[in-house]
Amino acid sequence: MTAQAPDVSVDDLLLDGRISLEDMVDRDALDELCRSFASLFGISVRIYSKEGALVADTAGEQELCVYVNTTTDGRRACSSTVAAVRSRDAGPSGDVMHPCFTGAAYRIIALEYDGRVVGRLIVGPFLPANVTDAPATLLDIPGIATERAATLLAKMPRAKLETVTRIAAHLKASLDLILFSGHKAFVTSKMHLMSVRESYRQLEEKTARLQEAFDRLKELDRLKSNFLATVSHELRTPLTSIIGYSEMLGEGFAGQLTAEQLDFVKTIHGKGDQLLSLIMSLLDLSKLESGTMRMTMGTMRLEPVLAEVVSTLAPTARKKRVKLALAPSGLLAELRGDPERLRQVFLNLVENAIKFTPADGTVTLSAAMIDDDGTSPDDGSEGDDDSGLALLAPVRTLVEVRVADTGIGIAARERPRVFDPFYQVDSSSTREYGGTGLGLSIVKRLVEGHGGSIRIEDNRPTGTVFAVRLPQAPP
Amino acid sequence: MQINFGGREIALKLVYYGPALSGKTTNLRSLHQLTTEGARGRLMTLETKDDRTLFFDMLPLALRAEGARGAPSTGMTLRIKIFTVPGQILHASTRRLVLQGADGVAFIADSQISETEHNAASFFDLRQNLKEMSLNIKALPLVIQFNKRDLERVRPDQELAVLASRGREPVFKASAVNGQGVLETFFGLLHQTWAKLDGEHQIAKMIGVPSDQLLPMAARQLGIKTDVQTLLASCVGGALVRAPQVTP
Repeated sequence: MTAQAPDVSVDDLLLDGRISLEDMVDRDALDELCRSFASLFGISVRIYSKEGALVADTAGEQELCVYVNTTTDGRRACSSTVAAVRSRDAGPSGDVMHPCFTGAAYRIIALEYDGRVVGRLIVGPFLPANVTDAPATLLDIPGIATERAATLLAKMPRAKLETVTRIAAHLKASLDLILFSGHKAFVTSKMHLMSVRESYRQLEEKTARLQEAFDRLKELDRLKSNFLATVSHELRTPLTSIIGYSEMLGEGFAGQLTAEQLDFVKTIHGKGDQLLSLIMSLLDLSKLESGTMRMTMGTMRLEPVLAEVVSTLAPTARKKRVKLALAPSGLLAELRGDPERLRQVFLNLVENAIKFTPADGTVTLSAAMIDDDGTSPDDGSEGDDDSGLALLAPVRTLVEVRVADTGIGIAARERPRVFDPFYQVDSSSTREYGGTGLGLSIVKRLVEGHGGSIRIEDNRPTGTVFAVRLPQAPP
Repeated sequence: MQINFGGREIALKLVYYGPALSGKTTNLRSLHQLTTEGARGRLMTLETKDDRTLFFDMLPLALRAEGARGAPSTGMTLRIKIFTVPGQILHASTRRLVLQGADGVAFIADSQISETEHNAASFFDLRQNLKEMSLNIKALPLVIQFNKRDLERVRPDQELAVLASRGREPVFKASAVNGQGVLETFFGLLHQTWAKLDGEHQIAKMIGVPSDQLLPMAARQLGIKTDVQTLLASCVGGALVRAPQVTP
């Protein structure tokens, strides 16, 4: 068979020819069965396994047997008869009679399962119907009193041959059924195990293949990031020249331009700037993805950063007639962070908020201290699950900055994806609102780089809140 | 095939394969009913509550070698175990376990027009499983049974005749639930399997039964009154192996 073949086959499992009474049948149950037969018919029943071990015994002794055993010669004769019965084969017919010197007899019957002998059934001693008087073999034993022997012999269970045959057949059938049930249960449980093992083996194979594919993809992804970083870098150098020269042209360093020429040059300069910021974003992203973004971490305060963001974007907001406000917080907490990168984060978030808020809307920036409740802020749905908090995490103080707008809002199912690079909720929005789809993915990575988290909430009745949580600097 | 000289036994494994609910277990039950006790053992079915096969069913047969024309018997026993696989898709691993080591396969197809696709899918499954065990389906003794001929909306006889004549495997028509075609399929499979094994291993000589006498002997011991040739003649299309090709 192939290397994949399981170690046990179904054929082995059927235990062909290896089924033994001892393995398949509960000994106590078998004893009980034999006892119930013995009490029903008054005749002792013993069961021996194929190997000759006593498996079940009704352990009843006839009075005559007890009496015979009181004499030395009687004891000798009895034990030799018993030994002969024990070792006697049931013969080719599977059913033989073995006489006892007392006139009683034993029946030895082969027990079969699936056409193979598995043991022997011994019924007796009993008195065959045709025996009326104590035979000479009994009476000639020294020390045996004729009268007493005759009385006790009469007490011996008397049975017709066909009665014993019927008893034996009945017992045999019961045993066969028990063996079959035991065998079936055995096969079922083993088969169950084998099936589970086989399924597990298949699953393991599949997992290994998936892992391999995953590793390959990860490597490809790394190569892609490297490529992106290199290309962005190489693009930036000539672009800086384009921007520089177009700026110089616009400022008249190469002679006065006509109004139309100036307009063209300004467009070149503006688009160049746009391209540069896209390339810078790509560079940031690839650095963040490869973990090579260098952040200058220091103890800093957040308030001035937020104030600067608001003052930077105030003209943009005014142009769109969007009200931009920084809620006073009196926040004095200090963070460990890179002020430049955090400025980038909030600049991006506020710029986005303004972009997606219609005229006469409001964008509010607020900051507050909160206790870390240990829940995962990434997933708003679990925010209210506070079970077992006492066990989960020590309380940390966080600074939460909320950027709330009254814009078009983000559907709940879109929320986890807006942080993916190049993802846009509606690709047509790129045309309407502009943007590269890189901003939020950079924001998320920068916030995480600060040990913080970001999540999106609803702003009722309309709009979105981006909540950024940053850990407070250790005192 | 397993040979146990010590126990004077040769064991064959026949497997009834096919899509879910095509009547594999019913075939075995009918076979159990159509044969007499003695050579045939107890039918072991391992099924779920809703009467679907969970692991397999198994019917053991034990044929005692009879000597040729009064010659003394070798005392060998030919044990044949007939298994069914669970047809449901989800039991794929069990199906493979049961199939392992099969000497011959009866493919039980459902004749209903609506089941045509399932028959094909199950056959591909069989071929794939054999392949994974490094076995070639061409080398495996195989018979096909179109079961459920008693139902309406089944593929007509004419169509089956055309299909059968195109194929290599002997095809039998059956209504297992009524016991029709069951013995025919079994003897067809036994014939094919015996012919192949005897050709390769000369097991006829081993157990002391002439090659052409095994099937009649089996029929006799199983208490089957119909003549074996009549049973085999009900095969439509395909080809039964003529006689064991004894390789020198």
